[in-house]
Amino acid sequence: MKFTHRVKLGSLATGITLLLAGLATSAAAQDCSTKVGAVLPTSVDWGRPIAEVAQYAVDLVNEAGGVSGCNIDLVLRDTQVDPKVGVDAAKALVDLDGVKLLLGAVSSGVSMPILTSVAVPSDVMMMSCCSSSTAFTALAKDDKTNGLFYRTFATSGVQAAVGAMVARDQGYKSVAILYKNDDWGQDISKLIAADLESLGITVTGSVAVNDAQPSYRAEVTQALQGAPEAVYLALYPTEGSAAVREWISLGGTQNMILANSLKSDEFRDNVGLQYLGNTIGTDTASPRTESASAFVDLYKAKFDAEPNGPGLSNSFDATMIALMAMQAAGKDATGSEIAAQVANVTDPDGTPVSGDAAGFTKATEVLSGGGSVMYQGATGNVRFDANGDVSAPAVTWTFSEAGTQEASYITLEEVDAFMASVN
Amino acid sequence: MIQSLTDGILVGAILSLGAIGLTMVMHTLRFANFSHAELLSIGAYSALVCDALFSGILPSLAAAISPLSMTWALALAMVCAMSLTGLSALIIDKFVFKRIREKGDELSMVFASFGVALIIRNLLGLIFGLKSQLYSKDIVFAVVLSHDPLVLVKPDQVFVLIAAVIIMLVMHYFLSRTTLGYALRAVAENASLAEVSGIRLSHMIALIWVIGGVLAAAAGVFYGLTNHVSPVIGRDLVLPIFAATIVGGIGSVYGAVLGGFVVGIATNMALLVLPSGYSPAMPFVIILVLLLVRPNGLFGETQT
Amino acid sequence: MIGILSYLVFFVSIASILAIAVLGLNLQWGNTGLFNGGVVAFFGAGAYGTLLLGGTPQPDHIGGFELFYPLALLGGACAAALLAWFVGKLTLHLRHDYLAIATFGVAVTFENIMRNAEGFSGGAKGLRGFERPLENWVSNGFTYNLAFLTCIAVILICTYFFLERVVQSPFGRLLRAIREDEVAARSLGKNPDRIRLIAFVTGSFIVGVSGGLYATFYAFVSPQDVLPTLTFQIWAMLIVGGAGNNRGAIIGTFLIWGAWTTSGWSLSRFAPVEIQIYGGTLQYIMIGLVIVGMLLWKPQGLFPEKLVMSNSGKK
Repeated sequence: MKFTHRVKLGSLATGITLLLAGLATSAAAQDCSTKVGAVLPTSVDWGRPIAEVAQYAVDLVNEAGGVSGCNIDLVLRDTQVDPKVGVDAAKALVDLDGVKLLLGAVSSGVSMPILTSVAVPSDVMMMSCCSSSTAFTALAKDDKTNGLFYRTFATSGVQAAVGAMVARDQGYKSVAILYKNDDWGQDISKLIAADLESLGITVTGSVAVNDAQPSYRAEVTQALQGAPEAVYLALYPTEGSAAVREWISLGGTQNMILANSLKSDEFRDNVGLQYLGNTIGTDTASPRTESASAFVDLYKAKFDAEPNGPGLSNSFDATMIALMAMQAAGKDATGSEIAAQVANVTDPDGTPVSGDAAGFTKATEVLSGGGSVMYQGATGNVRFDANGDVSAPAVTWTFSEAGTQEASYITLEEVDAFMASVN
Repeated sequence: MIQSLTDGILVGAILSLGAIGLTMVMHTLRFANFSHAELLSIGAYSALVCDALFSGILPSLAAAISPLSMTWALALAMVCAMSLTGLSALIIDKFVFKRIREKGDELSMVFASFGVALIIRNLLGLIFGLKSQLYSKDIVFAVVLSHDPLVLVKPDQVFVLIAAVIIMLVMHYFLSRTTLGYALRAVAENASLAEVSGIRLSHMIALIWVIGGVLAAAAGVFYGLTNHVSPVIGRDLVLPIFAATIVGGIGSVYGAVLGGFVVGIATNMALLVLPSGYSPAMPFVIILVLLLVRPNGLFGETQT
Repeated sequence: MIGILSYLVFFVSIASILAIAVLGLNLQWGNTGLFNGGVVAFFGAGAYGTLLLGGTPQPDHIGGFELFYPLALLGGACAAALLAWFVGKLTLHLRHDYLAIATFGVAVTFENIMRNAEGFSGGAKGLRGFERPLENWVSNGFTYNLAFLTCIAVILICTYFFLERVVQSPFGRLLRAIREDEVAARSLGKNPDRIRLIAFVTGSFIVGVSGGLYATFYAFVSPQDVLPTLTFQIWAMLIVGGAGNNRGAIIGTFLIWGAWTTSGWSLSRFAPVEIQIYGGTLQYIMIGLVIVGMLLWKPQGLFPEKLVMSNSGKK
């Protein structure tokens, strides 16, 4: 009995190994196509569109002839927002599919172990659209990322600063904060509370909103106490709409300041435009170029909706920049070679290129001539600092019939000056 | 304070409806059914579909019943959803739970229910998308019940509370005054004894599933009306409903009703003393404390 | 080829770590009949305990005692055992479903505290600042992973033989006696409450070791690692493998974790791009179907418990 079990298991293991080996070789034998891995939470409501946008960016690049003449094959894996599953997916992409570039993940709690236990040891470049945790900056400062990690999501500092600037400009005297109880929300709520207080604006309460709660009535009731003049919302669309519907029906103020995560059609439709007249959103911005509106037009043409939702433009830029860097690094480049080229495609002195198929073609030409380019995409002239963090100018926006419209533009210098003044 | 208490009662009504079905299934079939809350999702989505259908066929039905955001079409849709959900519960039992009951033990049932919950939740997400939807996009403003202390209630919530109480009273009448109700209780007390007294066990089990499904559908529609409809309703509500069931004592319908209110009130009141980040833990702290005092819940009987 | 090998080493490492936790649960449920619905709390206590004790000091929270690694791991496991003792004292007298929900609640509360108590656990952004032991000495990532796998495997094998000894011993028979008929055991002068507590604490200690190894492997832990999904995964592994059978528990772990990962992998490879967007959702449906199908086909698991009437008659 014992013996047969052993034999069965042994043959099973051999079988699996052979299967894996067979698949790996068959993949390598294909015509020129380069695999790029994406680890994104496609089974989550806000995660699926992020993946769709990444896939769309890849399609555009393929339209422009691909990278180094090879079609890009985006292998998309779901993280289920579970670190184990995400790391396993990343490891499989790196070891079995041989990818040199990983896009993702969204949650910092998933990106972090992928970075430390897969990307860095295997020398794979990692480009996250949406992980905001300050832990990555700390890791980069300790020289533990080998320069392999980049993210197109501006650190929470800018978001919070712009939110506080809006409150100041609107003349609000007291503000309540409702934030998503994750790393991003905890971070941003603390930052904006500090910013507001140094402006002399009272924070009447800072209330955490947990995921997956049946009702946000209690949280809203608590935030209503102290009768704030305005409310700052750092929430995702689903719980954001639920909480704001409660908020409005309980007579809460309609002076709302929103983080960019609520720039979403779902939020606008579920709350209703008639209640959003005094709502001002914040976002990292596109500078005064046509690139941002180009992205909006592209997105509209493809998905028949405005690109409103957490992380969409960030995901687009993450994919585009990473692929341009891959193009710049040449055929069969290693992860660190690709990562080293990021500076070359986001060079402020480089030739401006747009984030679409034509832009990619142009970038290819310039790069092959030894030049550098300045990528101007959905979030503007993205520029990374030494820690792989992005800084960008900011914009405020309001909801409109068609979606959203820009209200004002805040340059990078203004944001920096403001942040310096409150600290 | 009073506001939190009021809110708790209004939220609790929905939990109570869910808990009644769960407690009956848990008691009679002796397993913790983690897929019960998915019946609420099925109910909420069936109503969403029926609502669109009815308002499409007869636009006059789409008018809201003032002062609620509820429409006549939704009221009709709710009745449809209740029967559809009852039917779904029967189908799930026929294809999964009945078969496992015949060969497996209690724990296999618990795990099968996990599996069923995963399947239903993701099928709904696949069909209807992962975003949340609403029966009506209007926001009905809360009515001021008293100014000092300030107490606000939404008309929809009051309606939900009244409707839930009526449904519970009907259940009470059914269980305590009808022959079928007696038979049902007999099966729950001692299935084999009931069977020798001539009660068809399989019919009774089917009846329990139908009741559970019908009440869950009502709870699901009420939840959708006061909050929103999304594929993860089941995930969000399964724990509070379990908490309500356990607090009330497994098997006690009246306990489940009371348990729903206890959990609703406690989660709302908890924020008065704790930071809101801790609110998901609240139902369990209540359970732990209550079980320390009463190991079988408020109305549960000792069972081995 | 090296890629496949590297992935296999990685896969086996994670599966072995999880297998240790499944063995711990098997002692609690399979042998003693304790329905622990909060496995992840003890797993998390081990993980956080190990990182707090063995990590480097961080500016904004306590911990970072830089203990010698084996001591840190032991400390993590002891933290899990301590939590189990506390929880066990409060809840072990409850019947099945009540116990399950109560322990489930402990796990949700644990996750909640880790998410909010920033000064202690690092909050939602997780706990970092831990250096994997001896990592600077081994430059090659693959060699390091291989060496680490060897350590995990040794711990797994030791745990397996320890539990096999326990099951065969008079104490093991006592556990099963209590599981089957508590009143009878009590009438024989045994103290079921104490025995159950011992089994619960020991099982949780083992789960804590697993959690400690897991956190070591990633050099990171965050509240996302201690969500109820993990409890569900560990239980599914035990049920599919066969409760009460230690070998079944290990094989079940490899099968379920294998199915969990291959389902995602095969969707990404074989499904067309338009479908891939729905891959996550489809994967959950597949996992649900596997579990339900398995229970319909073999409710006792692939390797059911072998009931031995008398040990002396076996040899």
